[in-house]
Amino acid sequence: MSDKLIKCEINNKEIEVSEGTSIIEAFKKLDQPIAHYCWHPGLSVAGVCRLCMVEIEGIPKFQIACNTKVTEGMKISNQSEKIKAAVRWGLEFHLINHPLDCPICDQAGECELQEQYMQFGKYSPNMSENKVKKRKVVDLGSKIVLDSERCILCSRCVRFTDEISKTHELGIFNRGDKSEIGIFKDKPLENEYAVNTVDICPVGALTSKEFRFKQRVWYLKTADSICTGCSTGCNIEVDYNEEGLFRARPRYNKEINGYWMCDKGREIYRLPNRIGRLWKAKVPSSDSDKSSYSIGSVAALKKIRKLFLEKGSDGDSYSKNGLKADEAILILTAQYTTEEYEDLISFFLQFLGSKESIFYWKNNPENFDDFDGLLLRGDKNPNTKGLLEILQKKEALNPWEHLQKTLEEKKVGTIWVAGPENQKVYPDIEEKLRYFESHCENIIWWTAHPLLDSQKVWQIPIKTFFEKEGTIINFAGRAQKIKAVSFFVPSALSLSESVVILRGEELKRSEPPFLKAPRKANHFTYRKKVL
Amino acid sequence: MSRVQRKNSAAVWFLPPILKGLIFTFKKMLSNLSRKNKMLTLNYPEEHYSYGPRFKGNHILTVKKDGSLRCTACMLCATHCPANCIKILASEHESPEVEKYPIAYEIDILRCVFCGFCEEACPVDAIRMGPEWQTAGINGSSFVYDIKYLAKRDSLKGGGVLSRVDDQERHKAGI
Ligand code: SF4
Ligand code: SF4
Ligand code: SF4
Ligand code: SF4
Ligand code: FES
Repeated sequence: MSDKLIKCEINNKEIEVSEGTSIIEAFKKLDQPIAHYCWHPGLSVAGVCRLCMVEIEGIPKFQIACNTKVTEGMKISNQSEKIKAAVRWGLEFHLINHPLDCPICDQAGECELQEQYMQFGKYSPNMSENKVKKRKVVDLGSKIVLDSERCILCSRCVRFTDEISKTHELGIFNRGDKSEIGIFKDKPLENEYAVNTVDICPVGALTSKEFRFKQRVWYLKTADSICTGCSTGCNIEVDYNEEGLFRARPRYNKEINGYWMCDKGREIYRLPNRIGRLWKAKVPSSDSDKSSYSIGSVAALKKIRKLFLEKGSDGDSYSKNGLKADEAILILTAQYTTEEYEDLISFFLQFLGSKESIFYWKNNPENFDDFDGLLLRGDKNPNTKGLLEILQKKEALNPWEHLQKTLEEKKVGTIWVAGPENQKVYPDIEEKLRYFESHCENIIWWTAHPLLDSQKVWQIPIKTFFEKEGTIINFAGRAQKIKAVSFFVPSALSLSESVVILRGEELKRSEPPFLKAPRKANHFTYRKKVL
Repeated sequence: MSRVQRKNSAAVWFLPPILKGLIFTFKKMLSNLSRKNKMLTLNYPEEHYSYGPRFKGNHILTVKKDGSLRCTACMLCATHCPANCIKILASEHESPEVEKYPIAYEIDILRCVFCGFCEEACPVDAIRMGPEWQTAGINGSSFVYDIKYLAKRDSLKGGGVLSRVDDQERHKAGI
């Protein structure tokens, strides 16, 4: 696309676009309604659905908007009765073999067929022949199910595997009304980006096994967030209701992820959900029959403050009760926001330890710098850059070997660990916990999911990335803000909130905005007079 | 406070009307004893009144010809229910013909307002409101009707009510 701007007129509205823009892009830019299925801004143009027809002054036949470029002074419209009828009958042609599946179709509520029928169709069907039957519930691999009857053969999914993932698993087989999407023998749809085809499929032909039948989409609300699955930091939107998060989908960001995200990243929706979360703080107990008991996280932190931080009798030293300042160690993982690191590190330096006793825990040094060429990176932490920047600023970047040396040389009082939110990407977490345990008196471990029960470990529940605000910095140094989506574990605290309590101040907690979210407004359920 | 003073003799002589009333009651008693079927009142709870089939009482989940549930777990009834008292848990059926079916279906009958929207919303005649209207129970849990009760309770003789919508017939008709 060159920088030269050209003028055109769409439905009597003037617009300037750069040379080489297609008519449909100009329509989108002006927010004018246009029916379309096969065109997707992230894929090549196929021009197979023939729904995006427009009238161009001076050209006797209708043209498709996705495959026609705007020229200087072009006058385009799609408002006349003639063209509306053409689109309407085009839509009817798409739907003649479409099954009556909406009640059991996962796409219902966000289906382009439903939406565009309401917007451009609204005809009474004239078809009297029997519908053509095709395969249903076809397993395409471990992640995706195909329903050929619902497919409108827009070829978006085929183009995705050809152009984006470049794995070429999908194809259109047979001809005429027998054509259908399929995979080749012994080559299931298993690439790392496969679930994107579910997002771009305008109908319910491709559905994701992970989300299938869990919720109807009109029970879900959508919020913007950032994927914390790796250091790329793809922009995502998450769908949730009062029960928890149900799925993550990519959100367009030209600079980072375009229209896509990887399938590993989609799994992060499970992390904040209540099942498996650490519900309350766990505090070592002095009883011999059980190693720990649960109390509220604020009470636990107050207890920690009393035991390890309270002012000594000499009045000026905060390090008492068997703990001297140089005996505390802080270990950080790159799974927190920049603001939290700031708060925790300055607190640690003020009361507990020195710059030499702060360490950065790198999870998988072997494949840390991997990159698959599209999005997925080996560094499975969202904020490595942010953490390293702060440690550098505070001159507290110490090699891991120093930690081992310190632990081997002397008995350490307390190890404070800001543990990973996503424990799966820290395969050696148990091993490390045991190692720390054998070399110190107490471990204070912030964690979202329960660890091994131990008589030395204090587990403090933390908020996940969907429950707090802050900044994370991706691999390229791009800082991105995240917002709290909802709250799922009432007693969870962010590191900053924990520090407020450890400092002995009163924590002002904002009320959870909405635990009972109102239903997503959906005209299929609410504008009943229309249907 | 004002008091009305009746001066007429009927008010003073109250015995005759009382006797009149007693005679009427006694007459009715005798006629009820001799012609029981003409009696207007019912001896509830020993005797029940049965309403017509279109009465909107307790819900029934209908079944297919093979006896399995007709419900496809589309959740349209739960979406339309103004009392928010229907809870459905959907799952994947092993047969691709069925695809989606409910593994749990609960109606909290104490919250139900018997509006009939659920029946109206259902695309496959899977839920109907039947003529039963007694909802007595012994504790809270007896007012949450589960899937088994809704489809196969003893009062639905013959193990369930057959749905009018049949997938096989629909397929044969080319839909
Ligand atoms: S693809 Fe859309 S129109 Fe077709 S059955 Fe699914 S929801 Fe209904
Ligand atoms: S499966 Fe979906 S994306 Fe693929 S061709 Fe069919 S309708 Fe289009
Ligand atoms: S009758 Fe009305 S209130 Fe009762 S379950 Fe059905 S929709 Fe809900
Ligand atoms: S009863 Fe009917 S409306 Fe309700 S979930 Fe089942 S099929 Fe859908
Ligand atoms: S969007 Fe233009 S032909 Fe399909």
